[in-house]
Amino acid sequence: MTDENNQTQPLDTRLEMVQNTMEEVLAAADVRAVYGEPIQHGDTTIIPTAEILSGLAFGVGSGGGTGTDQNNSQPWQGSGGGGGGGGRVLSRPVAVVVVSPEGVRVEPVIDITKIALAGLTALGFMVGMMFRMSSRRHALPNIED
Amino acid sequence: MAILQTDTKTGEAIKVGDFQLTPLTRVLKVQGRYHHFGFVWNRPKAILVRKPDGQEQIMPVTDFSRIAIWSILAGGLLGTILVSLLFWKK
Repeated sequence: MTDENNQTQPLDTRLEMVQNTMEEVLAAADVRAVYGEPIQHGDTTIIPTAEILSGLAFGVGSGGGTGTDQNNSQPWQGSGGGGGGGGRVLSRPVAVVVVSPEGVRVEPVIDITKIALAGLTALGFMVGMMFRMSSRRHALPNIED
Repeated sequence: MAILQTDTKTGEAIKVGDFQLTPLTRVLKVQGRYHHFGFVWNRPKAILVRKPDGQEQIMPVTDFSRIAIWSILAGGLLGTILVSLLFWKK
């Protein structure tokens, strides 16, 4: 039933629907998306903060054509349309705002795993380059030499 | 043609204890001409703290993880270039 309704929806309605979805994704730009609800624990209140990355892309198309059958006796025409899209929302904690009777402070949230992975990647690049250059030095000399 | 926008947004102030906190965010928005694509990068920028005595203080929210990751990757790239230059001369 729903599929039938979707199939019979005009292109404008579908575009409007996709644009509404786009607006919902772009609503990630709101301040409330970044700062979470305050969490109270005794005298201390914690406000989590996160960075948000969201993206969405889509495309629609339609077309039609006319022609004749093999005997050139029966003309025919047809048309069709389609569309597709995708999107993703990523969120990563950045810091925590701690409010206590002593004052307000911002505590960073440090992602050790990602930092370690970046360190290993950098180290891998350096070691790889060292091996590459070292193997070039120890390579057999050319016959001409 | 894409539309690129950067903006600093201010949220609603909230009262926590004696302090009034106003969140600030930095937004990067890329939007396609006919709404065919969109990208939003929203990150916390700072907290504006109003103390009971009326003093205001801006507390920046720094993303130490991102700074560390990019620093390490930049250091790795620089180290790779240095290693290649050192071995090249020998």
